[in-house]
Amino acid sequence: MSALANPSPFEAALEADFNARSGTSEAQAAAFDRFAKLRLPNRRVEGWKWTDFNAALRSAEPGDAAEADIKPSPFSALDPLEFRIVNGRIELPDEPVSEGLRYGVVNPVATIPDLEDHPIASLNVALARKALGFEVSDDVAFDRPVLIRHINTGGGFSFAQTMMRISPGARLRLIETYEGEGAGFYSHLFHMVVRDGADFRRAVCQDMGEGGIVNSICAAKLDKQAKFYSTGLSTGSRLSRHECHVHFWAPGSSASINSAALVAGERHSDFTTDTQFRAEGCAVSQLHKGVAKDRGRNVFQGKFHVFREAQKTDAKMAANALILSDGAEENHKPELEIYADDVECAHGSTVGALDEDALFYLRQRGLNENEARALLIEAFVGEVVEKFEDEALRNIFASLVDKWLEQQ
Amino acid sequence: MLKIDNLHVAVSGAEILKGLSLEVPKGEVHAIMGPNGSGKSTLSYTVAGRDGYDATSGDVTLDDESVLDLSPDERAAKGLFLSFQHPMEIPGVQTMNFIRTAMNAQRKARGEEEVSAADFIRLIREKAKLVGLDDAKLKRQFNVGFSGGEKKRMEMLQMAMFEPRFAIMDETDSGLDIDALKMVGEVVNALRGPDRGFLVITHYQRLLDYIKPDAVHVLAGGRIVKSGGPELAVELEKSGYEQFIEAA
Repeated sequence: MSALANPSPFEAALEADFNARSGTSEAQAAAFDRFAKLRLPNRRVEGWKWTDFNAALRSAEPGDAAEADIKPSPFSALDPLEFRIVNGRIELPDEPVSEGLRYGVVNPVATIPDLEDHPIASLNVALARKALGFEVSDDVAFDRPVLIRHINTGGGFSFAQTMMRISPGARLRLIETYEGEGAGFYSHLFHMVVRDGADFRRAVCQDMGEGGIVNSICAAKLDKQAKFYSTGLSTGSRLSRHECHVHFWAPGSSASINSAALVAGERHSDFTTDTQFRAEGCAVSQLHKGVAKDRGRNVFQGKFHVFREAQKTDAKMAANALILSDGAEENHKPELEIYADDVECAHGSTVGALDEDALFYLRQRGLNENEARALLIEAFVGEVVEKFEDEALRNIFASLVDKWLEQQ
Repeated sequence: MLKIDNLHVAVSGAEILKGLSLEVPKGEVHAIMGPNGSGKSTLSYTVAGRDGYDATSGDVTLDDESVLDLSPDERAAKGLFLSFQHPMEIPGVQTMNFIRTAMNAQRKARGEEEVSAADFIRLIREKAKLVGLDDAKLKRQFNVGFSGGEKKRMEMLQMAMFEPRFAIMDETDSGLDIDALKMVGEVVNALRGPDRGFLVITHYQRLLDYIKPDAVHVLAGGRIVKSGGPELAVELEKSGYEQFIEAA
């Protein structure tokens, strides 16, 4: 049994929860040991310097999650196959399983070789009780979107996992929403494989109340000729960090990883990605747009790691941000680590204020100051919203941007 | 109509306009010519209400109502239009959507009914033809990737759409070829009427071959130093501005 030295009250509560469990596997114990060494990440740890979970959780109430009314989702309009993970408890759709799909509540994974140095992933492996297992069969193009609603309604902490397999030649669209007014900590570990020639499109919407503290990790392994798309929109929360770890293991695959964050008040958003190229001829395009207002904080960290064998890699990353108030923060860290010599890799990062010339132009045409600002901000994040190919989905995201702008 | 009375304007602490007075009566087109740095763009920005272009004394009135305390959008709703010397590219903003939003914002401010989608499309197609912009350009992001000439056509398109009471055209002719100059002339001449006024700022006489001004003023050193009829423009083309720079 491991013991945490000088634990914070929150860490002590995590440890007590772990120690109170029966039937803990050796792998889970090993994961908790790793966490005991790594601890809750804080600002002194590179990679977490702008998103300090230890500080946020120090003052979090380690109480129980309370049940609360669940609001309707704007994505229900798309007639999705809807799953819910409410405070870590998985609820399956109330309908017969469609042909070509298999899903159910399963035991979580006990090892995550690629993420062993990740403190929250280790904690998740030690403490998650259940996982949502989901598989799309060979060559099945499932036409309805799958919606996973992660709903955080109370205090305390909760952990869940999703394991997904997109079989060769299959196609799936997934929407994940992170919602709820709770003040607890939620950790979601989502590991998936996109097999040969499969096509996977993921939309992420972080739309939590002000109290939520959340870390989601999507770790995707791409096989030959696979396609992976992930586009996220976040309005932040007390502390939110969505990670995307994409690993290219076989040649000829491509990914498009995009995110937009709109943070106001005291909200915090973090999109962190780690893309590893271990095979020839893979391509990534990545775009991040951040808008920070009041004392909002936005973090973007994007890393391309190109191994020696990954010749002909084509990887592009751009991150642009608008700062609308003196107290707002944009923190960007684009990183390239390249060991192959025949590659095209590029990254760029810009931070600025709204263009005064453009504002004056719009106002001369009759838009008042708020309308002109809103139009420019909408146009700025619109480039990410445009990444959603499905028009109905794009419209929902555009309306979420509008809703945010109206609240400002 | 537009009356500028002893206007002094400082930009970043430096006085640029030094007691400029000018009156454009209803139904008239006046031209302002002047050397570089004489304050032509400062004048247009000040009348349109740009931040940082503040009148330290004097007044600007449109139909006897001072506009200096109004915001740029309030001035636009009063019917004041500025054709920009360097029109903006605004990535991500859809052209049609923006022009319609602007048009309706002006109408709303004036207590008028909004223009319907169908009427708007009909109108913008008609005006696009007038200024020589093809429909495909209207479906693009605002001015993005447009040539200098196309951007000026977009300015003229908006002027034709908004039908302002008073338009200031800040070097609309710069960078235009003969065909485009002709188009500018056609747009202005089509809008000319007893209730509308224009102030055409230009370096060269050639635009005035297509827009016959009722009066020509020379701006130098922040003041109007000479006024006359259309023949003044021809004279300036021959003799240049040197005499006025020295005089100012």
